Amino acid sequence: MMPLFRFSRSFIMAGLLCLLPAAAFAQANGGPRMDHEDTLPPTPVGPTPMAPDGHPDLTGLWNGLADNLLGVPNQMHNVGIEVGPDSTRDIHSGLEIATWPLQNRKRQNNEQNERAATLLRRMGSNRPIYKPEYWQRVKDFDANSNEEDPSNNCMPAGVPRMGVPSYIAQTPTYLVFVYPGQGGLIATATSYRMIPTDGRKHTDIEQLDGTWNGESIGHWEGDTMVIDSIGFNSTSWFDQLGGYFHGENMHVIERLHRDGNTLTWTATVEDPDVLLEPWTTTPRVVLLNPDPKAILPESLPCSERDFAHVVTKEHH
Amino acid sequence: MPMQARMLKVLAGRALMIVGLASLVFQVARAQSQSNVTKTNVSAKSSMGAAVDNASKSSASDVAKTLQTAAEAVGLARWSGVGGQRLPEVDVINTMEIWGSGTTYGSGQSNKPGEAGPAFKTEYHAALGYNPPAMRVEMTRTGPGTAAPQHIFEMVRDSYAWDESEIGAGLVPGKGIATPAMTSANSRLLQLWTLPYGVIKAALAAGNKTKMSNENGVTVLTFPLSGQLSAVMVKATLDAKYEVAKVETRSDNPALADLNTETEYSDYADHGEIATDVLSPGHIVRKQAGHPVLDLHVKMLDANNPYLVFPVPPNVKNATAH
Repeated sequence: MMPLFRFSRSFIMAGLLCLLPAAAFAQANGGPRMDHEDTLPPTPVGPTPMAPDGHPDLTGLWNGLADNLLGVPNQMHNVGIEVGPDSTRDIHSGLEIATWPLQNRKRQNNEQNERAATLLRRMGSNRPIYKPEYWQRVKDFDANSNEEDPSNNCMPAGVPRMGVPSYIAQTPTYLVFVYPGQGGLIATATSYRMIPTDGRKHTDIEQLDGTWNGESIGHWEGDTMVIDSIGFNSTSWFDQLGGYFHGENMHVIERLHRDGNTLTWTATVEDPDVLLEPWTTTPRVVLLNPDPKAILPESLPCSERDFAHVVTKEHH
Repeated sequence: MPMQARMLKVLAGRALMIVGLASLVFQVARAQSQSNVTKTNVSAKSSMGAAVDNASKSSASDVAKTLQTAAEAVGLARWSGVGGQRLPEVDVINTMEIWGSGTTYGSGQSNKPGEAGPAFKTEYHAALGYNPPAMRVEMTRTGPGTAAPQHIFEMVRDSYAWDESEIGAGLVPGKGIATPAMTSANSRLLQLWTLPYGVIKAALAAGNKTKMSNENGVTVLTFPLSGQLSAVMVKATLDAKYEVAKVETRSDNPALADLNTETEYSDYADHGEIATDVLSPGHIVRKQAGHPVLDLHVKMLDANNPYLVFPVPPNVKNATAH
C-alpha cells in the first residue's frame, strides 16, 4: 500500500505544483484567463490619457487579454458571438442563441472539442458578401485551409488579418505597431508596421508593389485614429478564418478608439473586384496590460512541422 | 539533529504543504460549486419565468432536458475551449449543405385524385442557414415529359422567395435572372424549420409553449412556429436516441393547406467529408397535403458552418415593395 500511496501523493503534488506557477505566471502577465465563463468584452476603467497634440494617446501594451492575433480569450467575440453569463447573442444580427447551463454540458473528448471549436469559430453571421462567382472558391479555400491558408508555412497574416496590435508607440508624426509571432490559429512570424500620421497622401497605387501590409497612412477623426491602407498583394486572407481572399485593389480602413484601458479596433474591407459590398469586422476590444513593467517576450521561431502529419481535412 | 527528528521535520513540512494545497483546492472547488448553484438558479429563472408554479416548472424542466438531449444527439449543442475552458454549451449550427439523390414528385399534376404526382429522378442540393433563415434548393430532375434534365434553383430568405436561373442570379447586372416567387415563401421556409435542426431550434424558441407528451412509448413535442409561420403547429416525434424521427405540421387555415406536411427522418450518421460530429438523417421522406413530394437518400453533409450567403436580389426586393 505504501508505495501506491506515495505515488499517488507525489502525482497529485506534482500536478498541483505544476499548475500553481502557470496560473501565477498567467495572472502576472495578464495572460489568458482560461476559467472564462463568458466572452464579453472588458469594461473600460480609468481616464483616457491624452497626447500633447490633444488626441488620445494609444501608446501601450495592449495584450491584457493575451495575444491579439489569436484573439484569445475572445475568439468567440471576435467572430461575433457574445457568450454572456446566461445567454448567447450573435452581435451582428442580434439573434439570441440557445445556451445551456455550464454544469450540464456533455462530456467531450479532445477530438470532439476540436471539432466543436471549428463550428464555433464559424457560427457568426457577420460574413463578407462576395460576388456569386466567388462563393464556391471561398468555401473551397476554407474547407481545404490546411493546404490553402496562406498563413501556413509561417507567412505573414497581413492587414487586416493580423488584427489588433499587441504594442503601439505613438509619436506626433507616426505610429508603430508590433504584432508578436505566434502559433495556434494562425502561425506567423513577428511583424511590425510604421504608419505615418503627418498628413501625407498615398503613393499612386500604380507605383506600389503589392505587399502583405500595404501602404498605411493614419489620421485622426475626432478621437478615433483612422488608418487607410492600399497597395496589397493578393496572397493574404483578410479575416482570421473563412478563406476570405481578396484582390490587389483591396482598400482597408482600420479604426482604433481608446476608452480608458480598452482599445476598440475594427477594419472595413473594400474590394469591388470580388466583394458585392464593403465588409466590416466585428469590433474587437483589447485591454491594456495592467503590469507597468510588462514587455513583449521574444517570440519562438515560426516553423511549420504539422503539415506532414495531416491526414484529414479537419482544421481550425 | 538526529536522523529521525530530521525525517519528522521533513514529513511535518510536507504535511503542512499538502494541507495548504488541499485547502486551496477545496476553496476553488467550493467557489466553483457556488458559482454553479447561482448559475442554475439564474438559468432556470430566465428560461421559465419567475411566475410559473412548481408543477409547471417541473414539466418545463423535463422539456428543457429533453430538448438539450435532442440537441446533443444531433451535435447541435456543443462547447469548446475556444475563448475559455468554462464556456457553456451553445447552439453551434448556422449554415450547412446537404447533397442527396432520390425522387421528387410534381405537385398537383396527378391524373387521379389522392395519388402522387409524376415522379422525377432527382439530384438534390440544399444550402441553408438559420441566421438569417434562408435556403437554396437546387435540383436536377429527369422524368416524364422532360426531354432534358430540369435544373431548378428555389430560394427563400425571411419573407422573400425567388427562383434563380443560376446560383446568385440577379445580384450582378447581366448575370442570371431572379424571378420573384413570393407565394412560395412560407412553404420553402417550412422546409428549413422542419429539418431536425430547425425543429430543435424552433422548439427552444417557442419557450413554454413547447409541450411534451408520451404517445405509445415515444416522446412527442408540440409547439407553434413563429413569425410568418405562426399559424403552423409542429408535432415532432423523437426516437429512442432522441433523434427527430417524424415531423408533422398543421395549419387550421384552409388557405395554408400546403403547409400541412409530414416528414420522416431515419438512418442518422455524420455524413460529412470533414467530420463534424453533426448527425444528419440518411433518409428523408416528405409528404405535403397528403401527397409524397420527396424521397431522398443523403449522400453528404457539410455542417461546418460553410460560407453560404443569401443576399436578396434588388428586383426581388423591389417586387415585394410594390
